[in-house]
Amino acid sequence: MASAQSDTERQELLEALASRFGVEPRVAADGTVWVSVDRGRLSDLLTFTRSEGFDHCSAISVTDWPDEQVFELTYHLWSYGDKVLLTVKSRVERRQPTVDSAIPLWGPSAQIHERELHELFGVEFTGNPDLAPLFLESWDGPPPFRKDFDWRAYVREAFYEEGEPREQGYWD
Amino acid sequence: MNRATGTETTAEGSRPVDGFDLYFGPVHPGSGNFGVKLTVEGERVVAARADPGYLHRGFEKLMEYRTPMQNAVLSDRLCILESLNWNLVHAEAVDRLCGTEIPERAKTIRVIMAELSRIQSHIIWYGVLSKALGFDTGFKVAFGYRDYVLDLFEFVTGGRVYPAGYLCPGGVRRDFPDGAGKRIEELLAKMETMVREFEAYDSKTIAARCRGIGILALDDALRLGATGPVLRASGLAADVRRDAPYEIYDKLDFEVPTREEGDAFARSFIRRREIEESIKIVRQALRRLPSEALPPVKPKVAGRIPEGEVYVRNEIARGEAGVYMRSTGESQPYRCKIRGPDLLHMIPVLEHLLVGAEVADVPAIYWSLNICPADMDR
Repeated sequence: MASAQSDTERQELLEALASRFGVEPRVAADGTVWVSVDRGRLSDLLTFTRSEGFDHCSAISVTDWPDEQVFELTYHLWSYGDKVLLTVKSRVERRQPTVDSAIPLWGPSAQIHERELHELFGVEFTGNPDLAPLFLESWDGPPPFRKDFDWRAYVREAFYEEGEPREQGYWD
Repeated sequence: MNRATGTETTAEGSRPVDGFDLYFGPVHPGSGNFGVKLTVEGERVVAARADPGYLHRGFEKLMEYRTPMQNAVLSDRLCILESLNWNLVHAEAVDRLCGTEIPERAKTIRVIMAELSRIQSHIIWYGVLSKALGFDTGFKVAFGYRDYVLDLFEFVTGGRVYPAGYLCPGGVRRDFPDGAGKRIEELLAKMETMVREFEAYDSKTIAARCRGIGILALDDALRLGATGPVLRASGLAADVRRDAPYEIYDKLDFEVPTREEGDAFARSFIRRREIEESIKIVRQALRRLPSEALPPVKPKVAGRIPEGEVYVRNEIARGEAGVYMRSTGESQPYRCKIRGPDLLHMIPVLEHLLVGAEVADVPAIYWSLNICPADMDR
């Protein structure tokens, strides 16, 4: 699946990440590289990956872990030159989810992903000038993609009537 | 008032006429389910603000409550215009988490169907761009040809627009029916005729209207997150099928067409060349198609997805599609992040290209990006 060129690049990346940041990157079976880093060193590590040629921010995502009270951020980065796919993961406090914006590194392409995650998970990205809602209009409830937001209960309350015989299925 | 510069001449000299807001969309035939608020001064757009959300269905959240086979059907709806390509990204994410070995014949069928879906999507692109230019003939010719592809989809998958998760985790939902190969060959011959027709239109009508507008420089394309045909029209030969091959793409011979200009016409050119390349790919895949029949994939109702996480990227008609799937060992994914090309193309790229454009060029620039509000909103 991966070319010889990207194999070498991948190996160099693993060594550089491990020696500079004391992290333990791993290569998955499909050839993608995964690395977890403390929130405190996230910005440094992302800056380093950008300087190493990861010029395409494919996506940024959040996974909600309410039991551990953390949000896990994942940055999916691709290097057009080296043809390596890297995922950087970091955990932030769920009660106060604040991270530095990646706009200085990837510009508007990071901006729009952050704006979406702010709306759907309530993560604050310091330095992102535009976190206006993208999808939801006049929404004042909790960020709806969080695990503890029960959308089924919300839909039932907001759109269905309990006494209505045809809508009984939603209340059983 | 000077309409081109948006100024009026008074006794004190020339001064700008106050701008006003103009909505492009969300009336469906003009824009898809999407709107852009334009601030115009005279005939010139001075600011553009995308207004998404009309098609937000919350697929990422819905998928957390459903099994992979149910999600395969949901993945059709991620983009109405190229449902089979979205089927494939989702199926691959589940396959990699489960470590499923896909039979060679199923892989080949996946590639054939994904490429036909790309052709079909590019035909729509051609049609809607023609419509936006006021070139009704192009629109009707394109949608006429699209029906031939839909006939084949119906024959193979049972659905014309929505294949009901035909490319599903584990392979494909059912084998090619008898005679599929012959019908696909006939279809490809029709597509070749169509490409020649498009070429004739491109050289006159499309060129006259699209050349030199909506120019996206390569560094802007990278900064704004453009992928796929939009990026290739700005000069970078990036294609996930070639750079990180999946299924059987590493065994196929195809070109990644690029252009340097980055304007709406360059994107048109890329579209036509990509249809030709897809025809080439389908022909090769048909020749490689192993002969042994495929056992039907039975949905594993009680099957669990092994614990783990993957990020899968595919090259779909519009650009880079990605699925980040995290499983905790349940029968539903714990998190399924969907990365579509159009969140980038329809917000940062579009806003960038519209500023400074003439109002009359807005539809041409807009549709030259091959937009799909469904995959932007998800």
